[in-house]
Amino acid sequence: MKEKINYYIIYCKYWILTWIKIIPFMIRHGLFDTIRDLRRYPWLLVMLKVNRLLGKFGKGRTLRYQKASSIIVSGIVSGVTEMLGNFFFNSDRMIIHEDMVPPEIFKAMGLVPFMAELNGIMLPMIEPHAMEDYIDMSESSGVPPDICSLPKGTMGMFLKKETPPALAIVASNLPCDAGMCSYALIEKQLKLPTFRLDIPYHFTDERALHYFTDELKRMINWLEEQTPGRMDWDRLREICEERNRMVEYELELWDLVRIRPAPLAGEAVWLTHLWFFNLFPGSKKSTNILKKVVEIGKQNLSEGIPAVKNEKYRALLWNPPLIHFIDLFNWAEKAYGVSLIMDSMSFNRLPFIDTASPDTMLEGLGRNIMYGPMARHTRGPAENYLNDIFYIHKHFDLDMLWVAGHIGCKNTQALNGMLREKCREAGLPLLIIDYDLSDPRIVPREGIIEQINHFMENIMKAERLDL
Amino acid sequence: MNEFPDFFPDLLEDPHNSLIDKALDNGKVPIGYTCSFVPEVLLTVDKLLPVRVFAPGVSGTEVADIYLSNVICSYTRSLLEFAMDGRYDFLKGWVFAASCDHLRRLYDNLNYLLKPEFIHILDVPHRLGKIPLSWYTEELKMFTRAMTSHFNVDYGEEALSDAINRHNEFVSLLESIGEFRKEKYPPISGSEFHTLMIASQAAPRNLLIDKINEFKLSLPEREKKSNYRARLLIVGGQLDDPNYIKVIESTGGLVVADHLCTGSIPGLTPIVIKDDPLTSIADHYLSRTSCPRMMEEFNARVESILKSASEYDVDGVVIEFVKFCDTWGIEAGMLVSAIKDAGIPVISLEREYRLTGEGQLKTRIQAFIESMGK
Repeated sequence: MKEKINYYIIYCKYWILTWIKIIPFMIRHGLFDTIRDLRRYPWLLVMLKVNRLLGKFGKGRTLRYQKASSIIVSGIVSGVTEMLGNFFFNSDRMIIHEDMVPPEIFKAMGLVPFMAELNGIMLPMIEPHAMEDYIDMSESSGVPPDICSLPKGTMGMFLKKETPPALAIVASNLPCDAGMCSYALIEKQLKLPTFRLDIPYHFTDERALHYFTDELKRMINWLEEQTPGRMDWDRLREICEERNRMVEYELELWDLVRIRPAPLAGEAVWLTHLWFFNLFPGSKKSTNILKKVVEIGKQNLSEGIPAVKNEKYRALLWNPPLIHFIDLFNWAEKAYGVSLIMDSMSFNRLPFIDTASPDTMLEGLGRNIMYGPMARHTRGPAENYLNDIFYIHKHFDLDMLWVAGHIGCKNTQALNGMLREKCREAGLPLLIIDYDLSDPRIVPREGIIEQINHFMENIMKAERLDL
Repeated sequence: MNEFPDFFPDLLEDPHNSLIDKALDNGKVPIGYTCSFVPEVLLTVDKLLPVRVFAPGVSGTEVADIYLSNVICSYTRSLLEFAMDGRYDFLKGWVFAASCDHLRRLYDNLNYLLKPEFIHILDVPHRLGKIPLSWYTEELKMFTRAMTSHFNVDYGEEALSDAINRHNEFVSLLESIGEFRKEKYPPISGSEFHTLMIASQAAPRNLLIDKINEFKLSLPEREKKSNYRARLLIVGGQLDDPNYIKVIESTGGLVVADHLCTGSIPGLTPIVIKDDPLTSIADHYLSRTSCPRMMEEFNARVESILKSASEYDVDGVVIEFVKFCDTWGIEAGMLVSAIKDAGIPVISLEREYRLTGEGQLKTRIQAFIESMGK
């Protein structure tokens, strides 16, 4: 009973706090305009329900774990309202960019970035079926059904003309062929000047670093020609330095979760990276949230309180999280005592940026892009993908690997055979979850649960804790 | 002479064909490659022999599916299946281009499963320009160093210039045959021409050249192809089975031009020596191909297709691509709109690598030709 009361106290606190952020946005936008734009951009209604994530992540969690998740969700709500504000009030400086092109440089140039794939990632977290209309739109316009549903949904959104007016587009050849090619369609649809960064396949040597740093310089020059944005190197330094502070906290967090049982897990690890490092790197608000999360982890550690009551198994999640079943690990924690300790979208190896000069900053950002999560796994040889998995397995003392086997990700599907054999050699139990990233019609929540049940019962010989 | 010589289609029945055998007897070193971004001219120097790998008559990909999964394009799966069956054991090395996700992962799996003595992957930029050209030239330098070290071959300027000259002579011979296709009633069908194209990638060119010359000389005497309903241009990626075109032509279409990875436009463009031979080769292979993986070149590809449509006086365009190909999958839909906007009838067809669903293909093409009022 006490637990339930505490849950509702935290839930209500953050529910009120998040509405305090959403309502002013609606007032600023005006009632009439909000209603008009809700019709023009139907996804807006889903986005405004972002604080639903408080319940999805918080329910049934231990007190501090719930608090950490709620702080993160509250930070996300701030971010969403900020982005929607830019969407409606600052479109004269708006740049549409691909998700693997980080926004630090745009922000330093005084431009407003809008990540094209954001809706495809965020909306299914809030409402699992939110992307279906956009996916269907893409397919009915001639895009084959086997293309990854993230670019497919993104293209659908542009085809439906539900995206902001912008000055230009910046894309790249990351993370995959489908993602890269989707920008040919987006460019054609929007008829906007488009810039594409070329990231080498062999990206680990000095030659690649020079090549890619030149690409970033070329991008800055191009943006200065095409937009009112001007490069402010001092501003970029501030952003990079703040980003470095975020990284320090993240590394501290990773040290905490190495401990068994982990004082924090789940969203505290993956969502902090996915949201704050990809969308708001180098912002003081992001640093503060990471700091608060780390403090909560330390409190738990000092009092010997694990995040998951019965942490029996520690899991590594590979590939992007299952966004239309975003509370998967909340379920798995209760059902089997499985903690999500690390994931491929968070783990990275070269996080710090040397801010000594413009060149070192561009090199640092260049390294971050090329070696960044997902980027280095989808480029270069298979070793880039496999070596990280087995390093993380040892470093974080993990018991199992769950691969989010998104059917549209051909790049990673083609490594499953090798991965199975390597996992067998390493004695690492492997579950490949068959599903589609953005489209729950392919494999619904129940189908995912069934696959996990089979794995846990037959491979791990585990019993359900919640039945 | 009306019959197309069996000599050419016979070469396509097995990757290890009779001319490969002859070349092996002559001490040639066959190197397999998979993509038009691999400069096959570099595999013609000294004792090397380029072999563009294909999997004719592949009946299933059960083993390859275990590793590559069944959502990867069936061309790459078929190659892995053949490789696992030992059908490429005669090859002394492999050269890949990091051109698309599917071929990159084929490289990974082949390397993991078979551990070839020599395997190399070229990092091909995704755009054109001075800096990407310099990158690709450097890639080719590293590649030639690796080849020299492993196979002890000479990549001196003289050897390269000689290889370029031989390449240009050969492609101009094929091009001169291709010119006949512009005629109102050409003496060669699309499937016959494509057979020559594939044979020239699957067999030693020096052993083919006399036969091709002989065939060329016979062309003016051949019966003209006058019994067709529509002149077609075929567009797409890897197509190494001329029977696919034969099925299209069995419905009354005549394929008079092709924009295929394995085809003649822009495949039969000669290499122009501007700077040093290696830079010229890099420039040629980087800018010549019509693959959608070159991310800034969509408009150029459309222009090139429309230009060919006009030059070859085509009635309609057939776009074909192997299912699960991401680059062509997205490109095809966009090309359909662009070609339609130019007032040319167009159809887009998804297919498997091996020839299946002939009946469906015939029906689609028949309906397409009828929709043109032909």
